[in-house]
Amino acid sequence: MLNKIQYFFRQSWLLIVATFFYALLVVVVNSGLSSQIEANRINKLNNLMKGLITQAEVFEKVIEELEVTDSHGRAVETAVFKALDSEGKLQGFAFIASGTGFADKIELVVALDGRCEHFLGYAVLSSNETPGFGDRIKNDYYRSQFSGAPVGILKLVKTGGAGSVDEEIVAISGATVSSRSVVEIINDFTKEVKRAITREGLSI
Amino acid sequence: MDTLTTLILGFISIVLINNLVLTKFLGICPFLGVSGRIDMALGMGLAVTFVMTLSGALTWLIDHMLLMPLGLEVLRYICFILVIASAVQLVEMYVRKFFPALYESFGIFLPLITTNCAILGLCLFINLWGIDNLSTAVVLSVGGGIGFSLAICIMAGIRENLRLAEVPVALRGAPITLITAGILALAFMGFAGMIKV
Amino acid sequence: MPKVFLAGLWSENPVFRLLLGMCPTLAVTTGARPALTMGVSVIFVLLCSNIMVSLMRNLLRPHLRILMFALTISTFVTIVDLFLKAYQPEMSGVLGPYVPLIIVNCIIIGRAEACASRNSVFTSIVDALGMGFGFTVALVVLASVREILSHGTVFGLEILPLFKSGGWFHGWAMMAMPAGAFITLGLLLGLVNVISRHQEK
Repeated sequence: MLNKIQYFFRQSWLLIVATFFYALLVVVVNSGLSSQIEANRINKLNNLMKGLITQAEVFEKVIEELEVTDSHGRAVETAVFKALDSEGKLQGFAFIASGTGFADKIELVVALDGRCEHFLGYAVLSSNETPGFGDRIKNDYYRSQFSGAPVGILKLVKTGGAGSVDEEIVAISGATVSSRSVVEIINDFTKEVKRAITREGLSI
Repeated sequence: MDTLTTLILGFISIVLINNLVLTKFLGICPFLGVSGRIDMALGMGLAVTFVMTLSGALTWLIDHMLLMPLGLEVLRYICFILVIASAVQLVEMYVRKFFPALYESFGIFLPLITTNCAILGLCLFINLWGIDNLSTAVVLSVGGGIGFSLAICIMAGIRENLRLAEVPVALRGAPITLITAGILALAFMGFAGMIKV
Repeated sequence: MPKVFLAGLWSENPVFRLLLGMCPTLAVTTGARPALTMGVSVIFVLLCSNIMVSLMRNLLRPHLRILMFALTISTFVTIVDLFLKAYQPEMSGVLGPYVPLIIVNCIIIGRAEACASRNSVFTSIVDALGMGFGFTVALVVLASVREILSHGTVFGLEILPLFKSGGWFHGWAMMAMPAGAFITLGLLLGLVNVISRHQEK
């Protein structure tokens, strides 16, 4: 028995030593870089939110772990941020919404105005839609229809005046599924977020 | 019933819609190398399915029972590859000793599979998709292997027929295989959006 | 020494001749910039792993060789992944799960087995640089073709007049998708075959 253990060690000592050495190396590098990685993550979200709520300077998380059940019955957790300008005035609210698109998961950052009456727009945080078709949810043509749209239930229509700002959203031709997913995601999440914000008495 | 539906849909999704070879580009090396004949392709497919199921389950367990509770996520890649490489070597020794008939049919492919991107890729995707229970992880692993086998067998069938066709000299071998794979990928794109998981 | 380096670039180019490292080749070549990032990461990992394996070559036991290679390579890939997440978060997002897949990139394990475990540190370094550059060049060429045909840009710079800027080019969406990747690589390989056959004459 002892012989076997000795044999085992003689064969694999290099492996064991190397494992410790490498693991140590990785942990050291990680502790050096983890603050930068965390800062990047927060920056990315802040930049997207700032792009939507242009007057804002500071973002504060006001509601943590809000549970939203989407129209497919899935429960997702999200957080809500409030946007303040340099004078501390409330400029709007922002939250992350997600759901299934045509190909994969779609994650959006959605912004509402201070009264939760109009959308300020949305930005795509991550998506994997078909390039040239579903991918167009990232483009201004589709996104601009949401700026100023009333908060309520947005309806997807196939044809119509894309210029008029109302609760009808004209789908991207050739990408009905992706367009519908975006509208559904925004509808599902906004309903819960608005309810939570009103409950906490945070809106103007 | 709901869990069963999720499992079945997940299985179909990874075999057809998110096929590891044709949409996620995993396992291309064996896909190009071993798809010459259908019997070899089938052997490789079986071996991959077996190892993938084992690795998928093991890595999920290690990830959730060991790495996450201890906060050692940064060592994830090292752990995964060590688990996969060791599992493959142990499986090969075990199969060679106790199931020599089985070893004849797919044992020779086992050492090649350690560097098969599909295995590590699947383990990482399971992690990326945030799968939080073991049964889904196992079903996805089995499905991943079957999807790979499906792709490689279809390719083998086509290549066997290609041998009778007049392929331009410059395109013989890997180039025509890749172009065929491209057309296959185009065909599989038709499954996209079939299931909303 | 230059012969070893040049071999990695052309006659034994890992992607075009040896047909190694196919998975990342197809996956990250949707744009020239992710391709370049991936190429540089692979050069780094290849270099470090070749050096470490070459230093350890006399201590390796035959049975545990593959495990040692895998361990070494995964350590350096983890380090590269952390660096990318810290200093190139945008590229890290685009490359996604394909960075850890460098671990099973056949090129790196292949070179560790074929070259680094048998040769001196210096030869291993030169080999790593040659193979790495060959890989990067192949990737960037493939990516540029795909990017030009699908978006009309290279490295983000507009080359063909895009429709939305008033030009005529609409962009060929298939090039950005898996099918386009396979077909472009197949055609490029055919082209390389034609050129090398010409050279042999």
